[in-house]
Amino acid sequence: MSRMSIAVLPKEESLLAKTAIVLVLAMLSQAAGDVFLSKEMKAIASSAVSPFEMALLALLSPNIWLGTALLLIFFILFAVALSWADLSFVLPASAFGYVMNVACGYYFLGETVSRTRWAGATIISIGVVLVSRSGVRTVEAPGGQDVLEVIGRP
Amino acid sequence: MITALLIAVVVIGGSAGDVLITKGMKQVGEISTRRLLHFAGLARQVLTNRDFLLGVCCMAASFFAFLAVLSRADLSFVLPATSLSFVLATIGARLFLKERISGLRWMGTLLVCVGVALVSLP
Repeated sequence: MSRMSIAVLPKEESLLAKTAIVLVLAMLSQAAGDVFLSKEMKAIASSAVSPFEMALLALLSPNIWLGTALLLIFFILFAVALSWADLSFVLPASAFGYVMNVACGYYFLGETVSRTRWAGATIISIGVVLVSRSGVRTVEAPGGQDVLEVIGRP
Repeated sequence: MITALLIAVVVIGGSAGDVLITKGMKQVGEISTRRLLHFAGLARQVLTNRDFLLGVCCMAASFFAFLAVLSRADLSFVLPATSLSFVLATIGARLFLKERISGLRWMGTLLVCVGVALVSLP
């Protein structure tokens, strides 16, 4: 458990920072992937006449592939975080992606956001803050390695 | 009735998938930048892990049930209902992964669950 490390931050805080960085990157790629897929699928649905043509257009569309690749990146980063962090930490923490979606829709896409959605985003944010203060992991990681490598010095 | 059944598959499949993927990734061990240098070996270790693969199958089942339920019910009903998976996955993490869920974490998780349901309403 006690390992030598050239830490600038105490261990628990550096683990939180590392987890936060990976999860924010995950949520950004998820948000971008969702935007690509939903925009492109809507465009395809309005031009295609049959489900078969729709599937074909989707398979041939670079934007669909890009959106899918971004969602794959999201999943990989999510799994990477789970290699050291609690599921009961990662899952509620990544719900912050919903807040990012609401905010992005409002600021970048000019969507009108209902009061219910704002209230939901606020409640999620409070929940994520509470979860983030509950510690990143409560179970011993079996393959314990230096947690500082991502943010620490090489 | 079938709608309720499909939503159950979405929620239970998704939560079981999360728990199994976590179990698999914990067996693989903490992924560090040093291990990323041996990417091929690491990828093989993950992709041959039984729990990880089972988890991916559960998630796929959950996803297809989600698509199926969308053809029968509105998104504004389906999405709030699936926010229950935050609570179910947390219970699964406690039972099967032995994670300790403090009062603070439970409170945060419940708020997230309620918030996600609200955000998904029209």
